[in-house]
Formats: sequence, structure tokens, C-alpha cells
Amino acid sequence: MANNERRYVIIGASAAGMAAAEAIRQSDSTGFITVLSEEPVQPYFRPMIPFLISGKKSVADMTLVGQGPYSGTGIDVRLNSKAEAIDTKNQTVTVQGGDLVLYDRLLIATGSRPYIPPEIEGTEAAGVFALRTLTDALAAADCAAQADHVVMLGGGLLNLKAAFALLERGLDVTLVVYSPEVLSQLMEPDDAVLIRDALNKAGLKIMTDCSATHILSQAGGVNGVLLNSGQEMFCQMVCIGKGVFPNVNFLEQSDVQVDQGVVVDRFTACNAANVFAAGDVAVTFDPITSDRIVTGLWTNAVEMGRCAGYNMAGRTTEYTGTFGILNATQVADEPFVSMGIVHTSGTDYETHVFSTRNTYRKLVFSEDGERLVGAVFVGDISHAGLYRYVMREKMDVAKIKPFIIKHTLHYGHLLLP
Amino acid sequence: MAQPKEIFVRLDRCMGCHSCELACAVEHSQSKSLYSAISEKPTPQSRVYVEWVPPDNRLPVLCRHCEDAPCMHACICGAISRTEEGVVMTNADKCIGCWTCVMVCPYGVIGRHLQEHKAYRCDRCPDLEIPACVNSCPTKALVYRTVDEFSKDVRRVASREMLSGEGG
Ligand SMILES: Cc1cc2nc3c(=O)[nH]c(=O)nc-3n(C[C@H](O)[C@H](O)[C@H](O)COP(=O)(O)OP(=O)(O)OC[C@H]3O[C@@H](n4cnc5c(N)ncnc54)[C@H](O)[C@@H]3O)c2cc1C
Repeated sequence: MANNERRYVIIGASAAGMAAAEAIRQSDSTGFITVLSEEPVQPYFRPMIPFLISGKKSVADMTLVGQGPYSGTGIDVRLNSKAEAIDTKNQTVTVQGGDLVLYDRLLIATGSRPYIPPEIEGTEAAGVFALRTLTDALAAADCAAQADHVVMLGGGLLNLKAAFALLERGLDVTLVVYSPEVLSQLMEPDDAVLIRDALNKAGLKIMTDCSATHILSQAGGVNGVLLNSGQEMFCQMVCIGKGVFPNVNFLEQSDVQVDQGVVVDRFTACNAANVFAAGDVAVTFDPITSDRIVTGLWTNAVEMGRCAGYNMAGRTTEYTGTFGILNATQVADEPFVSMGIVHTSGTDYETHVFSTRNTYRKLVFSEDGERLVGAVFVGDISHAGLYRYVMREKMDVAKIKPFIIKHTLHYGHLLLP
Repeated sequence: MAQPKEIFVRLDRCMGCHSCELACAVEHSQSKSLYSAISEKPTPQSRVYVEWVPPDNRLPVLCRHCEDAPCMHACICGAISRTEEGVVMTNADKCIGCWTCVMVCPYGVIGRHLQEHKAYRCDRCPDLEIPACVNSCPTKALVYRTVDEFSKDVRRVASREMLSGEGG
């Protein structure tokens, strides 16, 4: 089939799917690009949905097409179109309702959905949320309007963002964290001290080293949470932020290889011919450790999606992986960046920690001290991208190490020998 | 479309006088005058940074408006886009101050305006014919040229240096 009528089908219209669509359009101006979305709304910037809960932004403020690099030119997004199965022999996708869509190149970009721990009882009650979609956020905002006290299960970044959105609405918010400290996936307890202080000051109640066993409810919905300590807390709303897992159910009957996520090669291609995968649903790898990982990062989903798009359109492009941890944000007026290998207790990494009253940093080097492999910056995150670059390129740090440790590295150090 | 001009740095020329930083901050103030800019809130910020590399090299660093701008693709709220002139621009109204762009910029040239909680960077002075930093540079370490013009310049200088090298 001539390139100019190639049919590109993308399942999932979010970071990976839409980035891929743009990349395809850049490389192939005439092929047909169809993006199937299960969701009832136009593509949007998923990380912004907490602003619907705080009320600081509207749905229109989060629209993806027409913003940043997303032109949407010649990209047909079909809403309410859940892919139910794929047939890689006949190269078709079955869409809910029975439609068959033919493809020459297929991208699986179905992302992930919240993990709801089965050991917690009562999670189906009205007033229990796991924030993932714009629809979830609107429902949570409605529920919050009737609530006084919210219990959040999980101390990850997503729950912290949601917690702040609820605090901004004037609700009482209690965070129940199984780990000894918040953000345990992104840093170690000692790294999180300043952030914890800021969260406390902002009025968030945090209970660490404990977990919920039951969500209690009556006819009207949630009315409390029972903790493993036996303590009962009254509340009218519960948010679960216990991680995510890839949306791969619809691939069960297919021959696409799944191992947690969809397995791809260095060019984002699956084992089945003409099928690619990118984003949260795909298994990727860490360029430092070479570990196979499944991530939950917008930045990676876009990068991998673009790479897949180029490959689908015939422009061979190697995907270079992503750090499993690559997060920047600001919670409670405290900016932080965490990237690469940051969990160092009990390891032999060469670690340099420096803290002041309002800043903290940890620089992690390989055991031989020759490579930078991880960094945490709290309070002052300036030039963070340079450190990421040094990590990613696996640069020999011999000449620049003092600047890295002192957090005074600048581009000149990399440019001029 | 004609090739757009860009800001180039001639590494051998910078004396580290910081004139460009001052001119940049003033140009990005409300009053556009040094005297009033100093007391303005939010405090005007320079988007060019004169760095020192030991033992005695100095160089101005500023947004390259990368062809494959990592900041633009990484932005989680669509605040960064490219204008027709090729300028990678942060829309302050849309910016939510999550600092993802700061985390991915390999040049370290995206600043954080703490009072406004917004990211900022070189916008190539859209209101000026010649960007303020270039205009203020007393040694012409900063020049405003198209890529073609600049590479021609570089070749010309190189050949001149070769000649003088031969002569000396
Ligand atoms: C509140 C919140 C804040 C976040 N903040 C950040 C942040 O600051 N930085 C960061 O890097 N990341 C952040 N993330 C994570 C980031 O949003 C995800 O990593 C990113 O959206 C992944 O993109 P994706 O395209 O792979 O998948 P998704 O965004 O999950 O999109 C997949 C899409 O596919 C659809 N879909 C699924 N199955 C089917 C099917 N069978 N048929 C059709 N459609 C289907 C889904 O409905 C969804 O629309 C945040 C996430 C949330 C929820």
C-alpha cells in the first residue's frame, strides 16, 4: 500500500496517543490518522485535573488540541470508542458497539488506570474516588461540595496534588500513608523532611505507618474509614491513590506480548507486526540501570509516543528509555525535583547530601564515583535539567563533580572543557 | 518563509560585564527603564545568564529555542509552544509552575519567577528589532543573525585567523 493512504489507528487519545498522532502527521501528510478514545471528552492534559477539584481551572483550560505542540491537523479523534479487541492477523480493531476499524499501523496507547487494593473492603461505595480522568475529577468536585472531611489513602504525588486541591476548597483532609513518610516512591524519608514540614504547615493531616482496612458507608455513601490500628475516622469522601496498572485487558485474546505492560523493542514495536505501544501501557527501560520498567509519567508518554509515531510513519527512531523517577512539582509552596536513582539506603552509591533551613539536595553517584545517577532537589531546583542531561548521557563527571555536588553546575561547564 | 534570526554567542568575546543581563531585565520590566524597574513588583528578571568557567572564561547562556524543544513536549499543561518565527514561548497565563520544563531543559535556561510562580525564558524581545541583550553587548559577543549569516561569519573569521596565523 502506498504511504499516502496508510491507515494509522491509535488506541488512546492522551499523552502518548496524541503525541504519536502529531509525529505521524509531521512525517506523513496524507495518511489517515484515527484515534480511538474510550473517554467521552476531547483529549486534555491529564495532570491538570486536580484544578477541577480546586476550582482554579475549567475543563476548557485543559484542552490539549490547539495548545503547545498539539495542532490536531488531520487527526480524527473518535470519542466514546472503546477498543474491545484487536486482531493482528487481519489488522483490525473491534470497537465497542461492533465497528471494525482496519489498520496498517496500530499504536496501543491505552495508558493505565488506578489500582484499587482488593484488601480494602467497601471501595465501591459512593464517595470513593481514584482520580484518573476528567470525569472522575468532575465527580470528585461534586462530592467535595457536600463534604467536610476527606480521607486520602496513599502518600504519593497524585494524592498530594488532590489533597491540596481539596484543602484549597476549605475541606479537612487526612492523608493515610502506609510508608513511614510521604512520597516514598520518589524519595527517602530524610529527603522529604522539608516537604513534610510544608505539608504540615499547610494544614494537611498526615498519618504514616498505617493503612485502611474498611471503607464504611451507609445508604447515602461513605461515612468513615477503619484503619488497621482499629481507629475509626468519620469522613464523607475517600480518595485512593495507590498507584496504577496498565490498561491491557483488551489484549487478552490477541497475540501481543504482555508482561505487566505491553512489551516493545528499542523502536517501540511489539512482537506482532505493525503494532506499536507507548506511554504508561508500555514496558520501557531505565537508561541507567537498564531495568525494564512500567512508568506513570506524562513526559515519558509524550517522548515515547512521538518516537512510536515516527517509527509508524517509516522514520526509524530509537527510543532511549526514561528514568523510572523523573518528577518535578511544587506542593505546599515547596518545589522539588526527583530523578534517577534516589533510594540509596543500604546501597554503595556515593551519596552527597546537603541541607539548609529551606533547601535540601542529594546527589547520587555510581559506586566508582564517575557517573551521576540520581538527584533530589528540594526548595532550590534551578538548573535541574542540566543534571538530568549529565545523568542521561552517562557523562564522565571527573571535571564537573565539585559543581554538581555544590549545585552550581551551569551550561558553560559542559560546553567549555 | 525567510530564515528567522537567532541570537548567537561568540565565545571568545564575552568579558563578563553582565550588560546583557541588565538590559534583558529592564526590557522585561513594566516601565522599561532601569530606575523604575529596580523597585517594580514582580521584580523584573533577566533571561540571559552570564556564567563563569574557571579559570577565566565567561559566557552568556540563554534559551536556544531548540528545534526539538524538550520543554515544549514535556510541558504537562500545554503552556509552551513555538511561534511562526521559531521562538519557543512560555504562555505565563497557562503556566502552572510545575517546573517540568526546568527539569528537562539541558541548558538550564528556564527561570522560575518565585513571586509569580511562573516559568520564564528568553522571548527574543518580540517588541524590538534587535533583542535587548544583543543591543547592549559592548563587545558584540552576542549577535542577532540567521543561521546562514552566522555560519558565513564564522567561516570568515576562521579564515582571517588562519591568514593572520600564517602571516605571524
Ligand atoms: C492527577 C494526575 C496528575 C499527574 N501529574 C503528573 C505530573 O506532574 N508529571 C508527570 O509526568 N505525570 C503526571 N501524571 C501521570 C500522567 O498523566 C500519565 O503518565 C500520562 O497521562 C500517561 O499518558 P498515556 O497517554 O500513556 O495514557 P493515559 O493518559 O492514561 O491515556 C490513555 C487513554 O486511553 C484510553 N483508553 C484506555 N483503554 C482504552 C480502550 N480499550 N479503548 C479506547 N481508549 C482506551 C483511556 O481512557 C485514556 O483516555 C499525572 C496523572 C494524574 C492522574
